[in-house]
Amino acid sequence: MSAGIDLQASFIDLLRGFGLTPGVAKAVWLPLPMLIIVAAVTVLALVSTWLERKVSAAAQQRIGPEYMGPFGMLVPVADVAKLLFKEDIIPAKTDPLLFSLAPLLVFIPVFLSFLIVPFGQNLVITDLNIGIFLWISLSSIAPIGLLMAGYASNNKYSLLGGLRAAAQSISYEIPLALAVLAVVMMSNSLSTIDIVQQQSGYGILSWNVWRQPVGFIIFWIAALAECERMPFDLPEAEEELVAGYQTEYSAVKFMLFYAGSYANLVLSALLFAVLYLGGWESPVSVSWLASVLNVSETTAWLQVITGSLGIVMTLFKAYLLLFLAILLRWTVPRVRIDQLLDLGWKFLLPIALVNLLLTAGLKLAFPVAFGG
Amino acid sequence: MLKFLKQVGDYTKEAVQAAKYIGQGLSVTFDHMQRRPITVQYPYEKLIPSERFRGRIHFEFDKCISCEVCVRVCPINLPVVDWEFNKETKKKKLNHYSIDFGVCIFCGNCVEYCPTNCLSMTEEYELATYDRHELNYDNVALGRLPYSVTHSDPIVTPIREFAYLPKGVLSGHDLPANARRAGKLPEELLEEMQSAEK
Repeated sequence: MSAGIDLQASFIDLLRGFGLTPGVAKAVWLPLPMLIIVAAVTVLALVSTWLERKVSAAAQQRIGPEYMGPFGMLVPVADVAKLLFKEDIIPAKTDPLLFSLAPLLVFIPVFLSFLIVPFGQNLVITDLNIGIFLWISLSSIAPIGLLMAGYASNNKYSLLGGLRAAAQSISYEIPLALAVLAVVMMSNSLSTIDIVQQQSGYGILSWNVWRQPVGFIIFWIAALAECERMPFDLPEAEEELVAGYQTEYSAVKFMLFYAGSYANLVLSALLFAVLYLGGWESPVSVSWLASVLNVSETTAWLQVITGSLGIVMTLFKAYLLLFLAILLRWTVPRVRIDQLLDLGWKFLLPIALVNLLLTAGLKLAFPVAFGG
Repeated sequence: MLKFLKQVGDYTKEAVQAAKYIGQGLSVTFDHMQRRPITVQYPYEKLIPSERFRGRIHFEFDKCISCEVCVRVCPINLPVVDWEFNKETKKKKLNHYSIDFGVCIFCGNCVEYCPTNCLSMTEEYELATYDRHELNYDNVALGRLPYSVTHSDPIVTPIREFAYLPKGVLSGHDLPANARRAGKLPEELLEEMQSAEK
């Protein structure tokens, strides 16, 4: 496996050609991927809101947004414009500091987690060696924000929603982490790049789904619960809690919650693709195809194709999962809070533990297949 | 130990069953996605009201004999019949007649009981106004021809309702023009009855 395109190195080389020192060139490079990722994530989150509307409409045999741009694609833009121009209301008798801080505490960790999401061999902001662990620890900041929002709103619905969100996030973090741990154990690394590389080689056959079918399901259920998606959307259950912890929020602060929740969904789908569906790898290994067709892996055009195919593959897998999440939303009814906690503690947790043990045993028994 | 194993077995069975049901549900939802939307895009598409639709009431001034039966059968005595007695002809002369559609419940009793059939139900249902007093129709407004989904506006595509579709068809969109609805038409039923009487 070759390194593929290294945008950073070529960019720095280019700037050095203009007479800049390597340090300055690197400083010029640094903000670029961050800005691109932040912009891309915003767009991805907006696209997922549009997808949610369209797929929901199709599932109910409706048309959905149609007149705002082609196929109603400008609806998310209109949403953002509307929320930006609305009056930012802080209701009386709230705790203004906590009330304003809470959306940020929910929003920032989600966007920060995209630090470790790889779209290709070198298409990642940083290849941290604690990558996936960073995501798990960052995602446990969100419940604090939700609790803050619920408490600061001075509203019984908000408080209930906040408490539920906290309980839910804390319960489902554990099976999620255990499922991830099994994958980490197989790839001997917490780095997302290494996890994908460990799944490369045999195309679709080498993906983690086949080696971790149980972890796959546990992760998906736990991720849905973390994102407060439909079967587990108790914190904002409309029929009971108005909008849960978001009840008192409007304008930009509401937008932060809303964007945060969709960005979180996109993030979970992306990481799901990275952990179990081979990240940027194609179902048919590109390097294998290249060797069959007798093309050297270092050929420029092949590298460009591989790079862009990687991005397309990652996004395709992520959006396929998003689509599944939306379908699930219109298929399964919401669970009760006791059923939710039962499912988390009495079902997912023991199974995740058994899965972890089994993975460890299999790793010792068959080091070839399970990453010795 | 055996009991514990049985419990585990039952639990697994239930979990598998739950997963199966969720799978079935997902396939139903997915199947719905491939069906054509049943949305009627209102201002541009309109459903053709059924034959028995009770819309705005039409009134023919000249047929009315001011008997006030409509007022008596009305649940809230709604129609306002303004008449005076003409001593020369010894007949009631109707001056004004009005029905307030903001209050009317469209039960159709007046239409049913009118001895001269001067009242009738139309298929007009777009009665929205900016002021509720505009809903108080006088005899001129009541005498206007009703809006027709099929004839009044070239921009409107009339869509057939469920009851008027051929057998097995679920959507009124993309129907061939000569598609016949399920069952017999009223005029055919009438014809049959008449030929049976002979």
